[in-house]
Amino acid sequence: MRIEPRDRDGVVILDLRGKLMGGPDAEVFKNTINKLLEKGDKRVVVNLHNIDWINSTGVGILISAYTTMRRSGGDLKLLHVSDKIRSILYVTKLNLIFKCFDNEDEAVTSFTDG
Amino acid sequence: MAGRIVIEFPSEYRFLNIVDLVCGEIVENLCAGQKASNEIAISVIEAVTNAIDHGNRSCPDENVRIVFTCKDDRFCVEIEDCGKGFDYECFLKNIPDPSDIKHLRGRGIFIMKNMMDSLDFEMVPGRGMKVKLEKLLKPKESDDGRKD
Repeated sequence: MRIEPRDRDGVVILDLRGKLMGGPDAEVFKNTINKLLEKGDKRVVVNLHNIDWINSTGVGILISAYTTMRRSGGDLKLLHVSDKIRSILYVTKLNLIFKCFDNEDEAVTSFTDG
Repeated sequence: MAGRIVIEFPSEYRFLNIVDLVCGEIVENLCAGQKASNEIAISVIEAVTNAIDHGNRSCPDENVRIVFTCKDDRFCVEIEDCGKGFDYECFLKNIPDPSDIKHLRGRGIFIMKNMMDSLDFEMVPGRGMKVKLEKLLKPKESDDGRKD
């Protein structure tokens, strides 16, 4: 899995590519989140548009990132969630935890909407 | 379409991609509908991930074997590892709440149980644990719910 961060109006968009399935992905993602927090970046949108698929271990990686952000006073939201990923979130009721967006503009402005 | 397809591979995450491709091709030919197809694909990946991680402890010398069986009214997948198994009956009675974000893992079996029509475990003597997934094939519905 590749992670490509970019900034949009003070919100970090993490463009993920590949598969989110655990293994070394967990450490890479955790390090990315920690580096963002060290820089003071606490508003993160994870773009899943180019994620081929995810398994429950990958969901655990997202949960870990989300809780790390929230504990630090920040937030993490999801963008372009595919039907497969959405069905995993729904069956596990994690759709009640993660805010999901289909539009990047809306995802970015959601951090200032309150 | 009725038939049987068997694949076997070392316990390495990089083979999950091939599993997903094979499963996707088979499921597309079932004409099961997008929702059912997604649920099958997700469940198979969960079972195979468990076989690699827990059954075979990610040891590349140990294989995972998958048997896809298509019957007229159902689709069956058996995923077999070389492990010693686990107390699945106890686990099934105590599945952690998947929406509890204190747990980073442990959702795979919950997902399979809820997305497939049946989920069974069997210890195969001399081999390992076998997970059996089954999805009943209903008449294909169009996306708005009308039956085709």
